[in-house]
Amino acid sequence: MSRRARERRLGPAGLMGAGVVAGFVLLAVAGPALAPYRVTELAGDPLEGPSLHHLFGTNSVGQDLTSQLLAGARASLVIALLAGGGTLLLGALVGAVAGWRGGATDSAVMRVVDVVLVLPPIPLMVVLGASIDPGLVGLSAIIVLVSWPVYARLVRAAVLPLRRRADIRAAVGFGASTGQVLRTHVLPDVGLVLIAGLISAVERAIAIEAGLAFLGLVNPTRASWGSIMRDALDFRGLFLTDSWRWWLLPPVAAVALLLVGLALVGTSVERRLDPRLARHQPVGVDG
Amino acid sequence: MGPLPTPSRRARRLLAHYGLTVAAVVVLVFALPRAMPGDPLAFLRADNPESVDPAVLHDLQAYYGLDRPLVGQLGHFLARLGHGDLGISIGRRVPVRDLLQAHLPWTLLLIGASLALSSVLSYLLGCAAGWRRGRPLDRLVVMASSAVRPIPTYALASLLLLGGAVTGRLLPLGGARTPFAHYASPFAEIADVARHLVLPVTALASALVASQVLLVRNTMVSTLGQDYMVLARAKGLPLRLLQHRHAGRNALLPFVTSVGLQAGFLVGGAVFVETVFSYPGMGTLVLRAVASRDYPVLEATFLALALVVLTLNLFVDLLYGRLDPRARTG
Amino acid sequence: MTAPALAISGLQVTYVGPPPIRALDGLSLDVAAGECVGVLGESGSGKSTLAKALLGLASGAAVEGGLRLGGADLGEVDLGGLDEAGWRAVRWRRIALAVQSTSSLNPVLRVGLQLAEPQMVHLGRTRAEADERSAAVLAEVGLDGEALDRYPSELSGGQRRLVLLAMALVCDPSVVVLDEPTAGLDPSIRARVVDTLRRLRDERRVALVILGHDVEAVGAVADRVAVLYRGWLAEVGPARRVLDEPRAPYTWALLNARPTLGSVKDLRGIRGDPPDPTEIAPGCPFVARCTQVVDLCATGRPPLVAPTGEDGERLVACVRGGVVTLLEGRDLRVSYRLSGTGLGHRSTVVAVDGVSLDVREGEVVGVVGPTGAGKSTLAMLLVRLLEPDGGSVRFEGADLLAAKGSALRAARRRVQLLFQDPYEALSPRLTVGAAVREPLDVQGLGLAEWRDERVRTELATVRLPSDAAFLARHTHELSGGQLQRLALARALILEPKLLVADEPVSMLDPSEQAKMLQLLKHLQVERGMAMVFISHDLAVVLRVADRVVVMDAGRIVEEGRGHELLLGARHPVTKGLLAASGRSTSPDGLLLRPTSRPDG
Repeated sequence: MSRRARERRLGPAGLMGAGVVAGFVLLAVAGPALAPYRVTELAGDPLEGPSLHHLFGTNSVGQDLTSQLLAGARASLVIALLAGGGTLLLGALVGAVAGWRGGATDSAVMRVVDVVLVLPPIPLMVVLGASIDPGLVGLSAIIVLVSWPVYARLVRAAVLPLRRRADIRAAVGFGASTGQVLRTHVLPDVGLVLIAGLISAVERAIAIEAGLAFLGLVNPTRASWGSIMRDALDFRGLFLTDSWRWWLLPPVAAVALLLVGLALVGTSVERRLDPRLARHQPVGVDG
Repeated sequence: MGPLPTPSRRARRLLAHYGLTVAAVVVLVFALPRAMPGDPLAFLRADNPESVDPAVLHDLQAYYGLDRPLVGQLGHFLARLGHGDLGISIGRRVPVRDLLQAHLPWTLLLIGASLALSSVLSYLLGCAAGWRRGRPLDRLVVMASSAVRPIPTYALASLLLLGGAVTGRLLPLGGARTPFAHYASPFAEIADVARHLVLPVTALASALVASQVLLVRNTMVSTLGQDYMVLARAKGLPLRLLQHRHAGRNALLPFVTSVGLQAGFLVGGAVFVETVFSYPGMGTLVLRAVASRDYPVLEATFLALALVVLTLNLFVDLLYGRLDPRARTG
Repeated sequence: MTAPALAISGLQVTYVGPPPIRALDGLSLDVAAGECVGVLGESGSGKSTLAKALLGLASGAAVEGGLRLGGADLGEVDLGGLDEAGWRAVRWRRIALAVQSTSSLNPVLRVGLQLAEPQMVHLGRTRAEADERSAAVLAEVGLDGEALDRYPSELSGGQRRLVLLAMALVCDPSVVVLDEPTAGLDPSIRARVVDTLRRLRDERRVALVILGHDVEAVGAVADRVAVLYRGWLAEVGPARRVLDEPRAPYTWALLNARPTLGSVKDLRGIRGDPPDPTEIAPGCPFVARCTQVVDLCATGRPPLVAPTGEDGERLVACVRGGVVTLLEGRDLRVSYRLSGTGLGHRSTVVAVDGVSLDVREGEVVGVVGPTGAGKSTLAMLLVRLLEPDGGSVRFEGADLLAAKGSALRAARRRVQLLFQDPYEALSPRLTVGAAVREPLDVQGLGLAEWRDERVRTELATVRLPSDAAFLARHTHELSGGQLQRLALARALILEPKLLVADEPVSMLDPSEQAKMLQLLKHLQVERGMAMVFISHDLAVVLRVADRVVVMDAGRIVEEGRGHELLLGARHPVTKGLLAASGRSTSPDGLLLRPTSRPDG
């Protein structure tokens, strides 16, 4: 695809978002090589300000915050792949089966979905997470377990009308195989829904991982942007010195920046999904 | 004209849904500790073997009733739940019920205030933006909400705390009331509570507004294209009636539904916001319980918050039935 | 005369593009108090734009031209250039709209409030007063006042339509615009609506504008009908006259394409497609589909004028003054002298005895009669292959009988005859190619290559092969059906305006007959030619003819539209023909008749 075609697909805001996301992915991948210290290592004096040795200073026990932030980026990437991908995969599978089969399967699945959807996700994940070792794999499992219904519903809604769609019936009438129908009629529509869903699931997973770490659900041997924030907030003298500038602000900015970047990409995908949103004639406004 | 269809079908459907969900919550709370490897107390012993008081361990064993068969355990559990007995906090050695009683009201206050504020703001801003589609106000609303919406509540709250701290502490940064204060009058007490509420409510409400104002705005935009808006305009109605009676009432419907869908998000957000501002609600309780793996407390907070969400949903469902006549007949 | 209740002059509505779409193009129409004017138009004609423009609702469009509301009690209002506040004061109080779409009722507001709010806003009524009035209007359209407490979703579709009608009446406007007021209603509710409209018109002297696409529905209530095509009025006049004897080519084509009760004619739409709304061509909007186009048609929008022979009540927008009579046979008579065997004994047979026959542009006239009625003789007279003893034939306004030399040659190109028996009409010496080419050779048209190209094209239009091998075949090698189609190609190659087909299918077996009939009708519509279709078989004639003439013994004994003859034949000859071609004369039996006769 040419550069211009890609620009038309995402738009300037989407491209900016994609750039931000790509930057974070780079940091996460290169993290171990870039990180000067181990996450738990007491690498300097407590509350050192930014310096060449410690670009983002140190925390109250003297751990290097640069290394912790890089580890947090890596945790986010792993969670994005494991939990975000897993959530969408499970949700899409269940939603597609429910939407395509219809009938009793559909109503049974949707009943389960409705029940899980009204359970408050954060308290539920806290209960689940407190009973296991909160490593990234365990956390991902919990996130998938609690989040899939959102995407099952999304995909079901996209698949459901397919069964009644005239162009698909017509194609089947011409003798098209399931593969041909999927390729020419289903994937172009559902494919965008899946991409938009994946981006949203990734956003959700990253926000939840950092949030659970923020609540203390974190393995003490690893770092997360959430746990850095939690440590900073738990330190009573945070606002007595300037330390909040390098201790609290960077993880907050990192998680906000990454999620806004992802959302920008997601919004441009959704806009392509429903171009009508952009092109609606207003009616009552000229008064 | 025919008799009006009875609303009982919808009522029955709602009843089935909520019955099923309450059952699911109770079963989850019952099953979770028992589904863990070993028994609910195993991880406790493994985690910090020396710090656990043998007396607490004994109480817990009594609470979970692990020596009985599973069916007996369920009966035992339900009977205790019926009495409001939620076990004993491992960390603090007080009945969990007492902890809930102390913390839940603050959370309800925070949630209620944030929901009320954000609903009014989302609705008014969303309607105004949708009505003036493409004009500066609309652009501002769309841009601001898209920028704020992806930011997690804890990050937003942390930024507010930071802002509050840096700008000279005009507002209290933590707690629900001034410690050791003696109030001259009930009004002074209310004012103090309100002052402590400002930052947490701002944090939670802005997260809510950011996630809902676009919905109202988009519904408003599509409402304006409907046939009934053309007819309302053709009738020569003044702008005020067009905007609030004809368009507004319709734009309200998806918004009300979304409040129900967002209830879980709202409760989670409240937990986060409280831990940032050391607000003495369920969030603080959760934070401490996680630190000490205080399992009975975590279970009870889940149970309580799930019930809050369910109540909110039920309320929304009933309200929707009142707002949209089609829901009653359909 | 008092000022009309609604005066529209030169109304032009253009949706600003890109591309700009001109939805109404210089529409002028007056509606008097106590009058009901029906605006008849297909979808896309600009009806809904007109409704919106009349209430100032055409947002996003440039509106030009004059709009005035008259009225003795409230004074005149010039609607041109009103701002939104000005419009708000006029809407519903002076001019109201009864819409068709039931989604125009706000689903979350009770019917009572929706009926009351314009009254409270415009007339300052209290809610109680408004409800009282609403209940009275609902009763007038036949709805129980109980409906006031209902939400729209609690009413049936028909009830919602009645509510919408009532809503337009609550403020006693002097003009009511109704969009398809009876479309899709069941008969009882439709009757109530029509009844309400009549009372409004007669008792309250309300000016009604009815917009619709259904000829019968509009004709049932309208006093006058205005025919709208692409934002431009083709014809205006008293309803019965416009609908029974349309003058504008568009009205004529529209009414011919419509099915009627007992219709046995194969229905064909108007040829071509409606013009692209984004193209604003200067000429008559119907020009691409009209059968009687002259150069003048492309130069400007034809204005509405009274055509010759009409009083001022009927106006037609056509530079040719409406549908033109293509062929005019007057009082034609011819007799054959039979030579007797006896000495000096001669007898005379009057074959055609004072026949007058008109064929209009694009029309198919069927001529039917028993053997010996003089049909074939008439055909020969009409194309001047036989000189009459008396009477006249005018073709395209010129005397065909007086034409000589090049004028006659030119006229011959425009009128063609298709003979009954292709075996006789096609010389067996000729190849297929030469036979079809012969008319071009005779007329000396074009170069040789062009002629061959035309031959191939025409053969393709009549669905015959056009390869070299086929062109080289001799005509006697073809089957009867192929031969008749070959004869048709030969008749069409000169692109005639009038085709006189004398028993064109009587020699064919049933299947070939059906194909030929469909082909003829199709080509007649698409090429915009007129046709005189002669047959002894009424069943065949009814299939293709817009109008049927029954002949017996050299005279016309009965004529009318196909379904009129079918349902109400009076002359014994017609009844005999019906009986001969059908299994019975009862309409029930005839309506189900197949296209072709089962006998040979």
